[in-house]
Amino acid sequence: MKEGFRQSMAWLHTWAGLVFGWLLFAIFLTGTLAYFKDETTHWMQPEIPLRPLNAEASLTLAQNYLQQRAPNASRWRIGLPSAREPGLSVSWQDTPASPGKRGKFTEKTLDAQTGAEVEPRESMGGEFFYRFHFQLQMPYPWGRWLATSAAMVMFIALITGIITHKKIFKDFFTFRPRKGQRTWLDGHNAVGVLVLPFHLMITYSSLVIFMAMVMPASILATYGNNLGAFYDEVFPETPLPERAGQPATLPPLAALMTRASEHWDGGHATRVTVTNPGDASASVQFSRASSDKITYEYGSDVTFNGVTGQLLGATADKPLPMAIAGSFYGLHIGRFAGPVLRGLYFLCGLAGTAMIGTGLVIWLGKRQLKHAKSSVMPFELRLVEVLNIVSMAGLVNAVAVFFWSNRLLPPSLDGRADWEVNAFFIAWGLSGVHALLRPGRKAWVEQLALAALLFGAVPLLNALTTSHHLGVSLAQGDLALAGFDLTCLGAGLFLTWAAWKMQRAGHSVRVKKTPRERARPIALEQGTN
Amino acid sequence: MLLALLLCYAGFTALCLSMPRHHDELLGRKPSARRGRGLKLFGWLMLGLSLWATVAANGWGLGLVDWFAVLMCSALALVLLMPYRPKLALVLAALSLLASPVAAWAQC
Repeated sequence: MKEGFRQSMAWLHTWAGLVFGWLLFAIFLTGTLAYFKDETTHWMQPEIPLRPLNAEASLTLAQNYLQQRAPNASRWRIGLPSAREPGLSVSWQDTPASPGKRGKFTEKTLDAQTGAEVEPRESMGGEFFYRFHFQLQMPYPWGRWLATSAAMVMFIALITGIITHKKIFKDFFTFRPRKGQRTWLDGHNAVGVLVLPFHLMITYSSLVIFMAMVMPASILATYGNNLGAFYDEVFPETPLPERAGQPATLPPLAALMTRASEHWDGGHATRVTVTNPGDASASVQFSRASSDKITYEYGSDVTFNGVTGQLLGATADKPLPMAIAGSFYGLHIGRFAGPVLRGLYFLCGLAGTAMIGTGLVIWLGKRQLKHAKSSVMPFELRLVEVLNIVSMAGLVNAVAVFFWSNRLLPPSLDGRADWEVNAFFIAWGLSGVHALLRPGRKAWVEQLALAALLFGAVPLLNALTTSHHLGVSLAQGDLALAGFDLTCLGAGLFLTWAAWKMQRAGHSVRVKKTPRERARPIALEQGTN
Repeated sequence: MLLALLLCYAGFTALCLSMPRHHDELLGRKPSARRGRGLKLFGWLMLGLSLWATVAANGWGLGLVDWFAVLMCSALALVLLMPYRPKLALVLAALSLLASPVAAWAQC
């Protein structure tokens, strides 16, 4: 009975892992990249200069700028620079010409030290990976549903994987390279078991993040169709007074920010919203930076009267269940993490990606062994092989092409940010065509080699197309820019090694097994040498 | 976090050596029962100390997160390094132990 249970769990692990593996690989890889979303954006918009942080000075610059450019706007919004986002962003909404209409919305980026306007190239930057990670470039809400379903399957695959793996502690430190199928399984187990706390946390928390979407029964039972009432109660907002129509002077925002920071016991503001600036009914709202603490809170604000400076309201502390949910949310997105912990998050994410990738390779490798003697691979195995190549090597190429298009597309191109995304998907699609046309192992080697070339040459491309090459970024201490270049170089070296291993493994199989390779278009996968 | 990383790496190496199979692979012979027990105790002690190091540095909330991150990444590093560069893996563990008092002094 016990053996039967373990076998059925192994069956579930195998098939759930296969069907959702390709999608999960993409979700994990883009999610891992999203840990460095701001740094990626910084690299993709190098026009925004990195300045020493001084929130008060930056806020004063933004206030002066908006006072000159948009004194009569209905709302100002100021995004303060942080250690990860160097730009000072200002935006405003014009007072609508007639009531009930929306005023024109304008957004600008300023130099955080001089207040001068900066014109960065249009790009989604790291935000693309972040969005793709849970929306999968699909219309709302389908992408979220698909990503959450994949998370549920991931959770099942993790639990069944733990049950299936008999010798977790005995094989804890075991990794045996150069042993074909054995090595893949060892690797799958090592990255699975050693990084298990991360896998469990990340998968469970992803379900917590979308709990209102996935399990709405309790909300619907209490609030019925009036979902707005639920959100009003859960996330109460400080009511803001109507526009009075009498001019009044807005006090210096920097002084109010100091008071907001005191209210948070030294916390930092990330965004300042001024409603009806210059009016007698003006109000100023400070939103707290999510990097301040582990628990992620949607909307933690302090609001002041924008004339007298009187405190109008502040978000109350959350009740315990929401704090727990917020902790899972915060742990998942890791906004609180400093550079070192962020790097470790990145490594854990890569380990998760590797676990899914090795799992897919093992599934195919095991079944290919049975067909090693026949000349034609069954259709379903060929399908899995092509999907493996596209979902792994193809995606890696697409990411590299996304970065290349950022540097090569002309800055004046219409819809430039969209074209970067298009380049990503065109590259991914082409990798599918290539994988269909070429025999399996050759397709692997060629796509890995191309990805190695693309990634390895990123620092060179950066040096040729911008004035922010490694020599400059390292000398200026811009670690995000330098780290991006060096990580791409590292990825290039790793992919070179992978392509070389794949080529050599194929070669040794060929020499040993068959001198008539031409007659057998489908080379063996790993596992026989 | 550096101190915790050094302690974790040394601790995992000791736990790994406490298993006869790995002791044999790395040092060429099986450990005696007493030596095995000693290594195991020492390994767990190091992991416990590393938890103390992260919690002392950043409090329980962030400390626990730091500890898990260091725990997972040090074990992964050891397991991936061992089959390719076994000597280096051991030397690194020894260096970690030697450097940990310095790191502890820097942290305090």
